Amino acid sequence: MDFRLNEEEQAFQNEVRDFVQELFRDILPPDFAGVDPGPEEEAREDIEKIAAQVWHRLGAKGWIGLGWPKEFGGQESESKSWILNQELIYNGIPGMDIAACQGDLILQFGTEEQKKRFLPPISRGEVKYAIGMSEPDVGSDMFSLQLKAEEKEDHYLFNGQKIWNSGIQRTDWCVVYARTDPNAAKQHNGISVFIIDPKSPGVTLRPITQITGLDAFCEVFYDDVKVPKENLLGEKNRGKDVSMYAFSIERSYGMVILHNARRYFDQLVEYCKETSVNGQPLAKDPLIRNRLAEMAIEIEVGRNMGDRINWMTGQGMLTVIPGCQNKIYGSRVAQKLSNLGMEILGLYGQLDDTSKCTQLGGRFRHMYLSSRAWSLAGGTSEMSRNIIAGPFGLGLPN
Amino acid sequence: MDLAFTEEQEMLWKSARDFLADKCLKTMVREMEKDEKGYSPELWKEMADLGWLGLPFPEKYEGGGMGLLDLVVLLEEMGRACLPGPFLSTVVLGGLPVMEWGSEEQKQDILPKICKGDVILTLAQAESSARYDAVSIQTSATPEGDDYVISGTKLFVPDANIADSIICVARTAQSSNPEKGITLFLIDGKSPGISTTVLSTIAGDKQCEVIFDKVKVPKGSVLGEVGQGWEMVKRILEWAALAKSAEMAGGNQQVLEMTINYAKERIQFGRPIGSFQIIQHYIADMSLDVDSARVTLYKAAWKLNEGLPCANEISVSKGWINDAYRRVATQACQIHGAIGFTKDHDLELYFRRAKAAEVLFGDSDFHREIVAQELGL
Ligand SMILES: Cc1cc2nc3c(=O)[nH]c(=O)nc-3n(C[C@H](O)[C@H](O)[C@H](O)COP(=O)(O)OP(=O)(O)OC[C@H]3O[C@@H](n4cnc5c(N)ncnc54)[C@H](O)[C@@H]3O)c2cc1C
Repeated sequence: MDFRLNEEEQAFQNEVRDFVQELFRDILPPDFAGVDPGPEEEAREDIEKIAAQVWHRLGAKGWIGLGWPKEFGGQESESKSWILNQELIYNGIPGMDIAACQGDLILQFGTEEQKKRFLPPISRGEVKYAIGMSEPDVGSDMFSLQLKAEEKEDHYLFNGQKIWNSGIQRTDWCVVYARTDPNAAKQHNGISVFIIDPKSPGVTLRPITQITGLDAFCEVFYDDVKVPKENLLGEKNRGKDVSMYAFSIERSYGMVILHNARRYFDQLVEYCKETSVNGQPLAKDPLIRNRLAEMAIEIEVGRNMGDRINWMTGQGMLTVIPGCQNKIYGSRVAQKLSNLGMEILGLYGQLDDTSKCTQLGGRFRHMYLSSRAWSLAGGTSEMSRNIIAGPFGLGLPN
Repeated sequence: MDLAFTEEQEMLWKSARDFLADKCLKTMVREMEKDEKGYSPELWKEMADLGWLGLPFPEKYEGGGMGLLDLVVLLEEMGRACLPGPFLSTVVLGGLPVMEWGSEEQKQDILPKICKGDVILTLAQAESSARYDAVSIQTSATPEGDDYVISGTKLFVPDANIADSIICVARTAQSSNPEKGITLFLIDGKSPGISTTVLSTIAGDKQCEVIFDKVKVPKGSVLGEVGQGWEMVKRILEWAALAKSAEMAGGNQQVLEMTINYAKERIQFGRPIGSFQIIQHYIADMSLDVDSARVTLYKAAWKLNEGLPCANEISVSKGWINDAYRRVATQACQIHGAIGFTKDHDLELYFRRAKAAEVLFGDSDFHREIVAQELGL
């Protein structure tokens, strides 16, 4: 047994850490406290700008799609891809776009032409992607989706609606799941996947404001939108395969959440060391010590779970159960941490980053709100438990 | 990264599982709770023959020369089987300290006997405060000619009723710093002045009160250096916490499997209860507690085995599994319904052991304080 990175991975990790330092020097504002991973916080203009610069630099480094084959600019290294993500996420650096994982889908299901067309702009850090799965009546039960895509002469004609599409206002492409066969005997057999330009005529975006105050996702209306046939990803009516694959590459989502939480935690620990109340540092208060240590244990346990899933992935093992376990766990730990931070900050916890007297950049207030999403987006905790228990997991009966 | 067992570890756990499934029947486990000694001497001999008792000790002392990670693999199976007896006491609390700090003479005397199954050891540390801290050590050892005279009362000493040798933690000097002036003595368990009473515990194991009433021991029985004992005790506690975590991980896994099987078989409302979503979700959460605790145990054991600093990892492991195993065991009881509330069902064996294991060698608050120190708080 050996929990260490190998030499090459270690060297790469150092390289990434240098790169992060470089970003702090060149791009990030002084006192940058970090942002959550994902496109949500790019709804702030300053973060959007930083994200674009970072995305571009990642492209220049050749670090987008590290898991991809060499001909598409990759290094066929899942572990490097994860090391990079982990460092960026821990440091709260925006920019790693959803495009990277949508590229995984294109690599898996795209035709040669599609790969040549869509992958290079991603790996250069030039284009951004969104995901269009959910609909007003379609959440966890995603195979019941209704957005209609009718096959015509040289295009598909789209009519219907999506919702909660994160960041789509700022993206070049959206990977959209639509119904191409309304009469399929099983509803999951009538779904197809398309790569759609959200600026196409007939597409209307209506931003929705999240609980954090950010206009981070959109309702998307499709009215007679023509989508070229060459934008169909994978076989017609086999969208189920694509979505299953999409879920499987989300297995690291729990770790994304956890490594993001680590940054908040370290900031909270520093705060407790530096802040004195009635002449005594918070860090000396037995109750605070106990609660912080409990949190430290939970974070450490989560990292070990991450090591396990990474290793299993490298071994080609099935990761359905640990992927779901980590998702449930990561969101639970992060939500608990957000509450602990709010309780320790007390009255200060209410204040946001623009307020006078705010502590820790108002990040805990943000996290307390934003962390609600982590047990929902990317599969709710309840759905994760269903999957662990079900036929691809522990095999409990129906 | 490589989280696989070595081939030897694979063989070890498989053979341990088979052997214990065959020899450590639950009827025996229950008998041993009532038995005065609390272990089966025949089984003890067989374990010696399998090389288990000498597993971590060097070959020159007739041991197996294997590592602590291997020991953890074995302990997991023992926990899974609820193996009663003084394995942890003898090998971890007694043997490892002798191996680490014993004089050549002490090692040559004790270790081969452990390997052969000829002696049982234990550690007498806790006292009436029932805490694992240095202030609590009140038992005194006073020099008298070529001897020390030891007096005091130790509590929760595992397997002292059958111990041939006891490592006693005693105070040889008073100091303003309670961690100073503590010394370890390797004492013949049958020395005059030692009296032992078995306490009646929730797990039915043999934790004892041991009274040292002016027990005379030769100066040669000091283990390690005089006055330097507390550092050693901390180390022993780390080993013990890790070993306990390993037993617990094995029990945890077994409880999960029992519960999954029960949920598949028990029919209510015309369907297996495992088809009810709430039961599925309970079990999904249990699986999370089981898998997370095991990989966390391995991380700590691996670090210890590599000689890397691991105080934090061991406390993370024990601090986590204390709560995780309790959650799993209580949830398992809920899922089993009334049958899980009975002595007829094996679940109760694990339920009681989970609680005992939680408080032995540091409860979660104890380990959180260590983690807090490691965080620099
Ligand atoms: C911040 C954020 C960003 C998002 N970004 C995107 C995006 O970019 N693109 C996109 O397509 N979607 C996105 N989503 C939507 C996300 O995928 C859905 O929220 C998620 O799939 C859950 O669907 P729902 O919200 O409709 O909840 P519902 O499915 O209606 O669930 C409501 C509740 O019922 C429970 N429930 C549902 N079914 C079951 C069941 N079978 N068993 C037990 N409990 C059940 C759920 O767990 C939940 O607690 C985003 C969501 C959030 C919060």
